[in-house]
Amino acid sequence: MPAIDLETEDGRNEALRRMYTIRRFDETAAEHFADGEIPGFVHLYVGEEAVGVGACAALEDDDYITSTHRGHGHCIAKGLDPTVMMAELFGKREGYCNGKGGSMHIADVDAGMLGANGIVGAGPPLGTGAALTIDQKGEDRVALSFGGDGSVAQGQFFEAANLASTWDLPVVFLIENNQYGEGTPVGEQHNVDNLSDTAAAYDIPGITVDGMDVVAVNEAVAEARERARDGEGPTFIEAETYRYHGHFEGDEELYRDSAEVEYWRGRDPIDAFAERLMDRGELSEEGFEEMKDEVEATIEEAIEHAHSSTDPEPEEAYDDMFDGEVPDITAFAERLRADGGEQGGEL
Amino acid sequence: MASAGLEREETQTMTVREAIREALREEMARDEDVFLLGEDIATMGGVLDVTGDLYEEFGRDRVRDTPISEAGFIGAATGAAATGSRPVAELMFSDFMGVAMEQIMNQMAKMRYMFGGKTEMPVTVRTTEGGGMGAASQHSGTVHTWIAHFPGLMAVAPGTPAAAKGLLKSAIRSNDPVFFFENKMIYEQSGEVPTDAEFTIPLGEANVEREGTDVTVVATQRLVGESLSVAEELDGETSVEVIDLRSLYPLDTDTIVESLGKTGRMVVADESPLSYGVHAEVMARAVENAFYSLDAPIQRVGVPDTHMPFSPSLEGEVLPDGEDVRGAIDRIV
Amino acid sequence: MSTLRIGLIVNPAAGRDIRRLTGGASVVDNYAKERVAECVLAGLDVVPNPPEVLAMPEKAGITDGAIETTPEEVAAGTLDLPIRGSAADTRRAAARLGEECAAIVVLGGDGTSRDVALECRDTPLLLVSTGTNNVVPSAVDGTVAGAAAALLATGAVDDRAVTDRHGMVEARLESGASVRGLAAVELIDRSFVGTRAMVDPADLVGGIVSRANPGEIGLPGIAGALGSISPTEPDAAFLGLREPAEAGRTVNAIAAPGMTAEVGIETHQVLGGEESTTIEVEEAVLGADGERELEVQDEEVEFRSLPGGPRLVAFKRVFAAAAGSGVLEKG
Repeated sequence: MPAIDLETEDGRNEALRRMYTIRRFDETAAEHFADGEIPGFVHLYVGEEAVGVGACAALEDDDYITSTHRGHGHCIAKGLDPTVMMAELFGKREGYCNGKGGSMHIADVDAGMLGANGIVGAGPPLGTGAALTIDQKGEDRVALSFGGDGSVAQGQFFEAANLASTWDLPVVFLIENNQYGEGTPVGEQHNVDNLSDTAAAYDIPGITVDGMDVVAVNEAVAEARERARDGEGPTFIEAETYRYHGHFEGDEELYRDSAEVEYWRGRDPIDAFAERLMDRGELSEEGFEEMKDEVEATIEEAIEHAHSSTDPEPEEAYDDMFDGEVPDITAFAERLRADGGEQGGEL
Repeated sequence: MASAGLEREETQTMTVREAIREALREEMARDEDVFLLGEDIATMGGVLDVTGDLYEEFGRDRVRDTPISEAGFIGAATGAAATGSRPVAELMFSDFMGVAMEQIMNQMAKMRYMFGGKTEMPVTVRTTEGGGMGAASQHSGTVHTWIAHFPGLMAVAPGTPAAAKGLLKSAIRSNDPVFFFENKMIYEQSGEVPTDAEFTIPLGEANVEREGTDVTVVATQRLVGESLSVAEELDGETSVEVIDLRSLYPLDTDTIVESLGKTGRMVVADESPLSYGVHAEVMARAVENAFYSLDAPIQRVGVPDTHMPFSPSLEGEVLPDGEDVRGAIDRIV
Repeated sequence: MSTLRIGLIVNPAAGRDIRRLTGGASVVDNYAKERVAECVLAGLDVVPNPPEVLAMPEKAGITDGAIETTPEEVAAGTLDLPIRGSAADTRRAAARLGEECAAIVVLGGDGTSRDVALECRDTPLLLVSTGTNNVVPSAVDGTVAGAAAALLATGAVDDRAVTDRHGMVEARLESGASVRGLAAVELIDRSFVGTRAMVDPADLVGGIVSRANPGEIGLPGIAGALGSISPTEPDAAFLGLREPAEAGRTVNAIAAPGMTAEVGIETHQVLGGEESTTIEVEEAVLGADGERELEVQDEEVEFRSLPGGPRLVAFKRVFAAAAGSGVLEKG
């Protein structure tokens, strides 16, 4: 059973809801980042919602994904709870990582979400590893690694793709081409015309799909998943998409003009899909407004929860380094804290 | 091993190479989630013949030849470990570690912590170190300091066959990433090794290989055996206590402090470059925790911050050995 | 305008759709397309005063790359046209080139050829296969296409003698929307246009073809198993398909690239030039030449053949005429 069945009316409505949830989660995160409530960096998925939702809808619940620095959308698409996510963004103990990960490292391994990732290109080797476990154990599941266009220039992507194709591992490489690797256009970072052309180097199929169309992404990932499960190995899917916000919040976006942003906004994946569902009589104007209100309530609840969540106790910084307690860390921590937080006190 | 232990335990004489292979064999038989991957470890049996016949015994799914692709297969081992496998990767020469370093430092070492403890990382990386065979700078390095220094990774570097077997089994059973550093020059070194399949040595425990009262030599890998020979030579003249450090991280501060309490003098012998190395950390722990036990400046024996040169006359110059340990003892006793 | 000008359209997206995952379709990468385009330009040089070239711009740089290698005697440039990387680019370019050129060389598959045919007025087309579902275009070397285009554009060979008008077919909804195809308009059991290409031949539930031959791929091949129709005939064939097990009649056909299938025939109806057939469609997608185009719900759909299809150049006849006229002889 796919996580969300786009062959059904309910499934299509759910896909729309997920996309809109991602949109509002990230727009809201941007506001609270600007207010200084969210520390660090945030990279927003706004505009790319059809890719994450289309892909994760085609997966089954126990399939794995690896994500990127722009991972909020992948998390929500995979079914993670926006409330627990928002708490993590705020650095709270109630977050997915107890406040140790933040925006760039949200993970829920039990839900098959092997982590957002701050290193471009690091996900594909991990997804390949998850696929290796699946292969070793003879499990009926697959792994999907999201990557940005930038990841395709990374050596570790090459190595993962080569290993996965050599061993026919059940992994799908889904490359979100949002037209810019940080602030540099794709065309200035790659010499191939389509990133999916690189698939030829690994003798795996590579295709390019419209990443603004949730159905197109879903179809492609569903087929790639079938190939993976049938032992035919990895597939490279390039989804052409666009991020409406900058690379990170605060990016001045000197590298692109507003006409280009407007063009892509004109192809908005949420508006377009909602319109199609309305044309089909599967969604009414009122129904869509109601859905939006419900999503809004979810996001508001997430913010309220984040506000009422607790900061981790400072000494929790020493937890989770290893499976058990390691005396070295304990000794250093005790010495540090005995001095009231100053390193290297009296003997 | 303590003689009291030998009376109780069944042992067998074997080399370090055989002890490592035996540990792999026992753990693979014990747990089907354990599998091996690395370059030329299957049909070829490993470039230094460590995995040997395990491929014939366990087949190609459990003993996997990888492409020459350290970032790829170390990364895959990391992803496999996060999803319920217990992989043992062989990194042919530790000099190749840089190729895989991104996956090691940003994924393997950090995932558990970044995720708030919500993943296990039961991966073992075996790799070879050390000069002495004329393999020159890119195949002779001793890099274990990098790993021991990096938070979230454990590092062990055995000096005897028994330690090799017991530590490797613990490494494989551990839910944390453990790097197992094998000095190439001791593969043929023999010793008594317990045959009990449940025999393990805890990570983070050093072992007093020979008791003494005048000076403590804290040694690793090849220099454990060489230090024991020096202790033997000096028998009757100087009483040398020899400790096999075994675990670089976690580091057994207690055993070092206890020994210093007895001897008041210490030599640290490790094949890594001298600056910022294992030596420095052992000395720092001694100074922090046993400053008032010290009767003389601590001495260190290692590679004098050069790479490993090719020509035997050059390699012999910078490679630390028993003579260097003896010289260090002579300076402080 | 100038008869001494040919158009060039290269579809960068042809030959790379989802059928690489589902069938045995080959991949035509852009490097290969650029080489074909270079050959087209090189072929123009076969006549003493080669025609100018006006090409459709595209983002992948195939055309620009090829133009850089153009022989010195050939003036080549691109249309001033905004591009967005969709089929609309091809259609707009075809309209402009149809006005300004004596012939248009098209590198693509059936889908690209159709897009050009719909807009190119009556300009002769030289179709070179670089797509997936290639019923209509020919698998000729680019140089051959370039040389043929030069012979036509310079008037060395009379285009009326070496072109044939290809049929077209159409499906029209009550609401007025329509889908036109060069070889076929398919009825596909899917809800959405999605990745456009037809993912699974089993989804094909019927449609209309302008040509039929069992050696062709997809619906024209299925129809061909029941009786041939040449591309130049005004006749069309309408098919209704169903599960082979439930059908009274089945045929073996080339269902998709890399895939043969047993197909159940529910209805097979040859339609004369003026005839049409209408069916009720609850939910399906209408496709044209192997690509999903239009989502349909609860509509009556009328299928018919369409007059005024494009004039396609028969390559062999161009060279036979050239040989006969001595135009290729020196001095």
